[in-house]
Amino acid sequence: MSCNIVLVGVGGQGVLTIADLLIRSAFEAGVPASYCPTKGMAQRGGFVKAEVRLGSEGIGPRIGEGQGDLVVSMERSEALKGLLFLKPGGTFLLFDHVWAPTGVMLGADSYPERAQVAQAIRTVSEELIVLDPDELPTVDGNTVRPNIYILGAMIGRTAVGEILTRETVEGTIEARWPKAAGANRGAFRSGLTSADGV
Amino acid sequence: MTKRILTGNQAVALGALRAGVRVAAGYPGTPSTGCLTHLLSLDLPDRHVEWSTNEKVAFEIAAGAAWAGQRALVTMKMSGVNVAYDALISIAYSGTKGGLVIYVADDPGVTAGMAEQDSRGFALMADLPMLEPADAAEAYALTQTAFELSEAVGTPVFLRLTTAVALSHSGIEVEEPVPLAIRDVILEKDIARYTKAGSAICKRQHAELIERLDRASEWIQERGLNRLELSDAPGGLGIVVVGAVTPYLDEALELARGAGADRSLASMLDDVSTLKVSATVPFPWEEARALIQRSDQVFVLEELEPYAEREVYLAAYQLGIDLPIIGKLDGTLPRIGEYTLSTVLSGMDRAVSSSPDWEAPSALPEADAKGVSPASRPITVCAGCPHRGTYLAIEAAIKEAGFEKEEVMVAGDIGCTILGMNPPFDLLWNEVSMGSSLGIAQGYVHAGLKTPVIATIGDSTFFHGGMPGLINAIQHRVPLTLVLMDNGWTAMTGMQVNPGTDEDRQLGARRVDLESVVRGLGPDRVAVVDPYDVRVTTDAIVECLRDIGGVGVVIAQRECAIQAARRKVRYGTVSVDAEKCTLCKQCLRVTGCPALSLPLEAKGLGESPCGDSPGTRLAIAVDPSLCNGCGICVSFCPTGALKKGAS
Repeated sequence: MSCNIVLVGVGGQGVLTIADLLIRSAFEAGVPASYCPTKGMAQRGGFVKAEVRLGSEGIGPRIGEGQGDLVVSMERSEALKGLLFLKPGGTFLLFDHVWAPTGVMLGADSYPERAQVAQAIRTVSEELIVLDPDELPTVDGNTVRPNIYILGAMIGRTAVGEILTRETVEGTIEARWPKAAGANRGAFRSGLTSADGV
Repeated sequence: MTKRILTGNQAVALGALRAGVRVAAGYPGTPSTGCLTHLLSLDLPDRHVEWSTNEKVAFEIAAGAAWAGQRALVTMKMSGVNVAYDALISIAYSGTKGGLVIYVADDPGVTAGMAEQDSRGFALMADLPMLEPADAAEAYALTQTAFELSEAVGTPVFLRLTTAVALSHSGIEVEEPVPLAIRDVILEKDIARYTKAGSAICKRQHAELIERLDRASEWIQERGLNRLELSDAPGGLGIVVVGAVTPYLDEALELARGAGADRSLASMLDDVSTLKVSATVPFPWEEARALIQRSDQVFVLEELEPYAEREVYLAAYQLGIDLPIIGKLDGTLPRIGEYTLSTVLSGMDRAVSSSPDWEAPSALPEADAKGVSPASRPITVCAGCPHRGTYLAIEAAIKEAGFEKEEVMVAGDIGCTILGMNPPFDLLWNEVSMGSSLGIAQGYVHAGLKTPVIATIGDSTFFHGGMPGLINAIQHRVPLTLVLMDNGWTAMTGMQVNPGTDEDRQLGARRVDLESVVRGLGPDRVAVVDPYDVRVTTDAIVECLRDIGGVGVVIAQRECAIQAARRKVRYGTVSVDAEKCTLCKQCLRVTGCPALSLPLEAKGLGESPCGDSPGTRLAIAVDPSLCNGCGICVSFCPTGALKKGAS
């Protein structure tokens, strides 16, 4: 069982953190894995990509265009960059957050509608999961951390869950942030059973 | 042995420690930075690790330590080799006593900016061996091999990683750390070996250099660093694969042999022979000749330049064998970008296709075919970045001094300071190499330009390579304005110290006072300003631009906002008076600050996540988790809606 995962988003959203948690979980579970970050020159607000390859030994870290079994985008517009990596029939998980660049806020550049992005994805695969940022659950009155919630959805709703168990990933999250264990567990578990946004 | 999750950079660091490296020096540069960063994070008694002023200095330090009998490592990105190369050729001629390893990280695909420079060309020109690991595990092993080879032959050795190998994380086996075995310092005085004064000396050193490369070739062959696997039957496809492409070839072969693969491909692969090259210089002639003699056609897989491929042509010519060679020179594979599984598969497709119309896929991104494009997201400076104030001041000063923006050439330089090339500033005209803004600006003056020229540079870049350019401008009385953006850190590469970093952050080293250095060089005018005060910074630049007769230096001094934030520094708060905000967007348009945002409703993009309750007036929002209270936006708000408060 192997899975090529491409995660994209904007610097500051926690894309690289998801990848880091995946590879640590794989390491714990004895699953061969590699993770390659691309963050360009942006501290925050720029395009970020993480390539995670689970379950194959001795393979190169990059995932070529059209080779991703699962593509996860944490931002609507960046989804179109992630889409290049989706294998026909693969799964696309879109967290439909809108992070408008300044040019868009000034009205100088255009920004895609959710329906346009979904339609573009469906030209490659019908396997589309959309998570709505406005419907993020709350735990103890606080909105959950989106990246942990998305990680939950990856484990609960995609083929990644056949490679890494819920327990392993939960353990990795808790080991990384022992003080926030409760809130993160809530975020992760709500992601496991998350429902599609409209 | 312990299995750990490590990057290629960390694997090189741990391999060097295991090999007994005593001195490690480098200059930050993505994707190589993580190696020295890792060494600096460890407690290493008896060893010396430093960020040097530039790559040449770092290399000379490593070479000096190696001449004195110690094992030494120097690290840099590919552009750094250009800087170190003057010393490198000379030291190659002299050879080394202790192991001397030059770790260079190349960046095919340009994920970190600059050029797709293939550093193998440098190893060829210097007649130095070069090892190229395929992955992090091999990087750990080959770093140790490189030190052994260096001492066995008496030559500096290059270790080349590419971005994907240097930055990717995977679980690899490493040995337990061992304390450094202290070696005596060797003091060998031998001018015939260590100087270059005299034709006879240099020619003999050249002959010895070539002889060392021959010995390296034998050593590499004895160690079997390049792995040749010949097919059982003659004929079939022979594949030469270099370094980081190797795992993609393995994967492609597995796919091609798997169920459902193209039948002609699968049958061809019954007779496949492979040469996996981990030591690229000197070229493995013997193994390549054996492969050529065994095969019907040869397929060469290497990123960037066709160095190995040219050697394959030469080997075939010398053997008198005329066979198809698939690679870059026949147009099948690109010289641009990183290789992945798709690249390898495309080359294999060419190998089986007999069609004369076979067309290579484009290496450059194709126009989007799905009718919708992602929003453009140009890289800009962080919220609270002091450079924002400097860019705005330069633009204002050009106007206030009576010039149009389009008639004042503003030279850019390397590092975060170059981000002024992007919107909303659109200020900088060029970017060349560390410190080049000063020389480029002087050239425009001598070309006869009548309007002022401005050079911009950051603190680390100034220490690295900018000082000679400034000295030249002062010596030759070249009228120009230098805006030195001093944020106290080598920021773009992830916050390394440089000579001007605060003393208490210097890891035990001393701070060199940038202002004293500049004043000591004797420019006609020096001003030190705070770029958060755009008015004062503008005035200082205007004075330089009006006094067109001499060299003016404006030092815009304020710590990097990221580093200040890490120390929990906030300069105040910025609040929005929603009643006064007219959504004119002037703050966004002028500053482009990532902490400012427009409510989504105002763009028709749906509900705002900013938490505006229904009925309240829409206004610009300030993200308090990003805003450090620099207050630059406040001075540009025409209605007084943005207000600066105390921290």
